[in-house]
Amino acid sequence: MFRPFEKISHTTALTLVTLQVIVFLSLWQSLPAGLIPSPLKIGEGLGGLITSSLLWDNVLVSLVLTLKALFFSVLITLIFSYLSVVPFFRPIAQFIVKCRYLTLTGLIFIFTLLTRDGSQLKLSLLVFGIVPFFTTSFMSVILQTNAQEFELCQTLGYSRWQCLYEVIIVGKADQVFDIVRQNFAIAWMMITMVEGLSMSEGGIGTILIKYNKYNDLVHVIALQTVIFCLGLFFDYLLKVLRNWFFPYTKL
Amino acid sequence: MTIYSRGETLLQVKGLSLYYDNKCILCDINFSIDDIIRPGMQQGQVVSIIGRSGIGKTQLFRTLSGLQKPDKGQILVAGSGLPWTLRPVHAGDMGVIFQNYYQFGWRTVEESLRLAAHRNKALKGMENDAIREYAAQFDLSDVLKRYPKQLSGGQQQRVSIIQQLLKGSDFLLLDEPFSGLDVCVLDKVVNLLLKVSLSHEFKTLIIVSHDIPTTVAISDTVFILGKKEGQEGSTIVRSIDLMERGLAWQPDVQEEKAFAETIKEIKNAL
Repeated sequence: MFRPFEKISHTTALTLVTLQVIVFLSLWQSLPAGLIPSPLKIGEGLGGLITSSLLWDNVLVSLVLTLKALFFSVLITLIFSYLSVVPFFRPIAQFIVKCRYLTLTGLIFIFTLLTRDGSQLKLSLLVFGIVPFFTTSFMSVILQTNAQEFELCQTLGYSRWQCLYEVIIVGKADQVFDIVRQNFAIAWMMITMVEGLSMSEGGIGTILIKYNKYNDLVHVIALQTVIFCLGLFFDYLLKVLRNWFFPYTKL
Repeated sequence: MTIYSRGETLLQVKGLSLYYDNKCILCDINFSIDDIIRPGMQQGQVVSIIGRSGIGKTQLFRTLSGLQKPDKGQILVAGSGLPWTLRPVHAGDMGVIFQNYYQFGWRTVEESLRLAAHRNKALKGMENDAIREYAAQFDLSDVLKRYPKQLSGGQQQRVSIIQQLLKGSDFLLLDEPFSGLDVCVLDKVVNLLLKVSLSHEFKTLIIVSHDIPTTVAISDTVFILGKKEGQEGSTIVRSIDLMERGLAWQPDVQEEKAFAETIKEIKNAL
């Protein structure tokens, strides 16, 4: 267990994680009471949150917004990434990749002018924030494509457009799932930020800001725990869906 | 000696040169492959290109397959219709079997074979029958639903061969088909290639290899890729007509004295 590259069983790994979590929480609990609440207090706060409709109503709002943003982001990413293999469109895709260095905060005013309402503003900001990261990941997948994949396609007598369809669109479909999975965290992280811009519609970002405003650290950490667990759940769900849609990825 | 004659030209390489960083890798390569006619028989032929490692065999393989354009010269192949004409080769004109038998990892064997069969106009509407027939013939019926990663090396090789056969090209280019095979599998592969070469009059197998005895044993013609004195890159330094020497179409050719002498001659020419 303490040797590099040692293989351990699934049960051992699970036991190890459980023990480490217990040790961490016990140490945290044993610390003298201060500004940071103890795990037991957070647990109580979490229990209260889970049983309230406030949490689930707001989680639903955030989830709907995240899924909408993911849908549009994946669509835009795929269109520009697929087209990036055509030299004419490559600069556009490369520009999108570079856009990840732009900060969303600096663009809020421009997006406010361009959108009709708060809902559109949040969605467009999220999409603008996610697309450069998705495009960066997917462009990297395309660039790393084994040249033999195109060559085999060509030797079978397929045209370049048909090779694009077979090798990139069909052949890399499983990787789209993987990229969504890897970058879901970015969307989840941004949502708490953009929801603060238009609080009337609610969302977990809104309640997080409210708890922060009143220094209610118990509920802030309890909510963070919920956000963390939801993130893990979606990560797992996307993994299962990928294996289900693309069975060859398990081989 | 077996009676044979030469018919129309099937492939012609004229003044082919390939450069990298202004350095000539393949220089002024010229050779042609003609149809071999044996009275009362319908059969193709096996042509081998032999050379040492690093001599440029893979580059020649890629240019012959149309995947890489030569910097000078041209490769002409016989068109499919009549009158008999030669036209420049394009990617897709030749069936290509890569050294590692690469297959699409996201396609099952059946799907991969269907991709190839769909390109063959002669199989229109009969693609599935043809796939089943070839799979049975090549002992692959049980693995049609499997992905490439679930196949053994031998199975992957057979899938690659069937795929290119289903595509229907007369030319089949093979890059080092005997590399890394054990003795038992090697015999099977040799028999398989002979079977393919006998399937049609214009079926032409071009084997690029450095395994001299195995390649020569199943070939009708050998081209040796090497370097001429004072020349920068590689070229065809010699061609050997094995039919003329009575060394073609013989199952036990490796036991003949003339075969051993030919191997020695090839080794000296490399």
